[in-house]
Amino acid sequence: MSSQYSAELCALLVEDNFGELFARIFSTLVRYDRLSLPRLKFYSHLSYPQLRHGIAAMIQQHLVYHYTSYDDGFTYYTPNLQAAYYLVRTGKILELIEDRLGKYAATVMSAILYLGHVQVGNLEDLPELQPAPTDIDGVEEEQETEGQTNGHNGQDIAHAARLHPTLKALAAHGYIIRVRESHFQSYADNVLDAERVIKARPDIKQLKGKKLDEAVIEATLTMLKERMDGDLTRGLVFNGVPRGVKRRPDARNGDDPTKKARSDYAAVDEEDEHDDEWSDDELDDEIPMESTLTVQVNYDKLDVALRNRRFLDLAERDSSSATIEVYDCLLRRIEYQTSKCRDGVEIPREGEEGEQYSAPIALSAVADDVDPNLDLAASIGPMDASQPGLRRGKRPLDDDDHMNGTTDHAAANTLASKGNRTYEVDQHLSLLAQPPHNLTSKRNIGGLPSWTIEFRHLARKLRHLELERMIEARYGDVALRLIRVLHAKGKLDEKRLQEISLLPFKDLRQVLANMQSGGFVDLQEVPRDAQRQPSRTIYLWFYDPDRVRSSMLEDTYKTMSRCLQRLRFERARLKEFLEKTERSDVKGNEERYLSEAELTLLEQWKAKEALLVGEISRLDEMVAVMRDY
Amino acid sequence: MSRFGAKKGRKLPGAEFSWDTDGNGEPDTAPTPLFPKFSVPRARPLSARERLQVDYYRGLRERYHDGPYYSILDSASTAAKKGSVARVNFDSFHGMPTYSGRYQRKKRTIPRMGGRSYIMKFFPRELWQTIQPTFKPDAAMDGYAGQFARATAKRGFEDDEEEDEEDETKRKRTGGEEEEDNEKDILDGEEEGEEEEIVDDDFEDDEDEMGGDYNAEQYFDGGDDEYGDDGFGDGGGGGGDEETY
Repeated sequence: MSSQYSAELCALLVEDNFGELFARIFSTLVRYDRLSLPRLKFYSHLSYPQLRHGIAAMIQQHLVYHYTSYDDGFTYYTPNLQAAYYLVRTGKILELIEDRLGKYAATVMSAILYLGHVQVGNLEDLPELQPAPTDIDGVEEEQETEGQTNGHNGQDIAHAARLHPTLKALAAHGYIIRVRESHFQSYADNVLDAERVIKARPDIKQLKGKKLDEAVIEATLTMLKERMDGDLTRGLVFNGVPRGVKRRPDARNGDDPTKKARSDYAAVDEEDEHDDEWSDDELDDEIPMESTLTVQVNYDKLDVALRNRRFLDLAERDSSSATIEVYDCLLRRIEYQTSKCRDGVEIPREGEEGEQYSAPIALSAVADDVDPNLDLAASIGPMDASQPGLRRGKRPLDDDDHMNGTTDHAAANTLASKGNRTYEVDQHLSLLAQPPHNLTSKRNIGGLPSWTIEFRHLARKLRHLELERMIEARYGDVALRLIRVLHAKGKLDEKRLQEISLLPFKDLRQVLANMQSGGFVDLQEVPRDAQRQPSRTIYLWFYDPDRVRSSMLEDTYKTMSRCLQRLRFERARLKEFLEKTERSDVKGNEERYLSEAELTLLEQWKAKEALLVGEISRLDEMVAVMRDY
Repeated sequence: MSRFGAKKGRKLPGAEFSWDTDGNGEPDTAPTPLFPKFSVPRARPLSARERLQVDYYRGLRERYHDGPYYSILDSASTAAKKGSVARVNFDSFHGMPTYSGRYQRKKRTIPRMGGRSYIMKFFPRELWQTIQPTFKPDAAMDGYAGQFARATAKRGFEDDEEEDEEDETKRKRTGGEEEEDNEKDILDGEEEGEEEEIVDDDFEDDEDEMGGDYNAEQYFDGGDDEYGDDGFGDGGGGGGDEETY
């Protein structure tokens, strides 16, 4: 994990967010990896108070792991690169939360991120989570008023009614987890610790040899699971749907199909449109969350949600909006049951990874989730048997038995009977199951039709698409074609490659040489005799996605850190001016204190910064595809 | 390449890029164009969603910056000890305290730990005193003492270097304690000032405290916010803004 550029990037991110002191401590720890306080002082040239306060604050922000050794009693500190890296993803995470659970939930989440980990009781006291006098947190309230006109009267009640349900919704989605003590130790330390405990157990001591190893490994894993487990979803999920799920599409998101919220109970109470969005969870929302519970953000789960969103984007390219909607419902259902993106720590090598299916979701459940007002039939086209038309050939094999008795579908669309709707949802999902992407796959479990997602397959697909996109951008479409041929056929000599790709030798060689110098393809020599004469040697071109992926990942880290450095430089150039805008009297009333020219400059600076930060977040998306999904 | 006996014009891959081709002919010495045409790739503009993400990122970063943990390294000021690095690096052109400096964001060199509660068991024992100055290292707390009882036990085979190091650190620690005390005083002052800002606007008792030791260097960043609020109509506005973050 800790390659040169990822380490650099993490240190820069820490500096961007928390300032130089944290960055100094962090980069020292990254360089030397595991240090006790005196050693850390020696290497970082900081004073003890600086270090103590810095480290303590960094532990609070989960940027540093610590471990107190049983042997010598020293406490060692290790950097937590994952947490540092995820600083770059906070924007995405908060936006996702807002999209899923509303503005207030995003505010709560932002408070949790800001505090590192926090007890629920302390969250109650935070001023920005109180819908208190409007002038204090006017920024947040103003944007919020849209759907909640009654937010300002009855504030206390509204507040009490909102924080805990929101927290519960976050917990039920798995976006926040309980903090355990073992979360503050690095994974390796946890493993060693668990092993030590287990080896001391009398029943293990009796075992020997291979049996001992096996037993220790097994027991260690269970113990780790027990210790690291911070799952809060228990008891908060009903029928596979977490509580607090937004019930109806927001008015402002209405025209954007990807942003449309779920609407399971929309038919039940249509009239209280402006009510608080949690109002139907009256069952046991009066029970607040325990105030001693400590929560933190669960990045693993958020990755799952972000990955699903990515799948949705992929589907969006060549499907209708209704299909996307259906797919969104399926993905949501799956998200609730998926706790992390994959089991292993590292992405397995190409061709060596097994398939990992998502939890199967019954067709009827998806059909229930789909907005009843959604016009499903219109985008599928007439299903008349007499019009086999353009989609006939693309149907999966099991489609034939569905083909009879569906002639009336084109006419009746929204208010069709439930059976018909289920069938239509099924049709949409089968559309998605088509190649090239195979976004879904069908299973029959106990006679019930259900749908799953082949996670590994899709993650690989995303990776390949990303690499192909980059190759096309760099070397043109000829290169893309060659890469695809090489990827499909394996290693090829130049002649075969030329035959398959139907390109003139000249183009071919030029492009191949270019790509070789860029590290995307490589040449293998296979000598035909012992002398290894070039004339009697076969040269095979090949494309190794794993290798390319890891080098691209490094490049991406490097680009991100360069972007951050650029940002820092640009800020240094405007330092005096920016300090002026940040003055406590200027901030907030820029119009009053700044001149015309300064206002334009500020605007320009903000646009520039947004562009750079946005670029970093795009690059982060690539990193996510290549590393996390 | 043909010297290795390749047959009948069948070129080996990469033959046209070999070194040989340059050897015979005149090398191309024509100057390359000074500013060759180069199409600069431009990032596409941010979409609405990306803009929102960026805003969230900036918002959170801003909060971190305004929060108690944001701290910088060089706090060059005339208030620093004589002969210290901070004093030497002082920028005498821009660093002088100015009147408008009172509105400037205060720069911290040490994260402020006060002002919020911490869950002690999540932190290593050696930091407990940092987090909670009232903590007594000797007293057992929450039953966690037993776990670390062997903390200082030596195994007896550490090399001398390590012991030296320890001694050194001990020495330094005692030296550092004074430093820490100094720091703490400053910190405390700051803490109270900050806390005061957040909690209430009753600054009477603070005034008494601050009135005693007049420090010209800290004239603007000590407890002057209170005075400012009195004197100016707009000063209150500035203070109010800080509270929102």
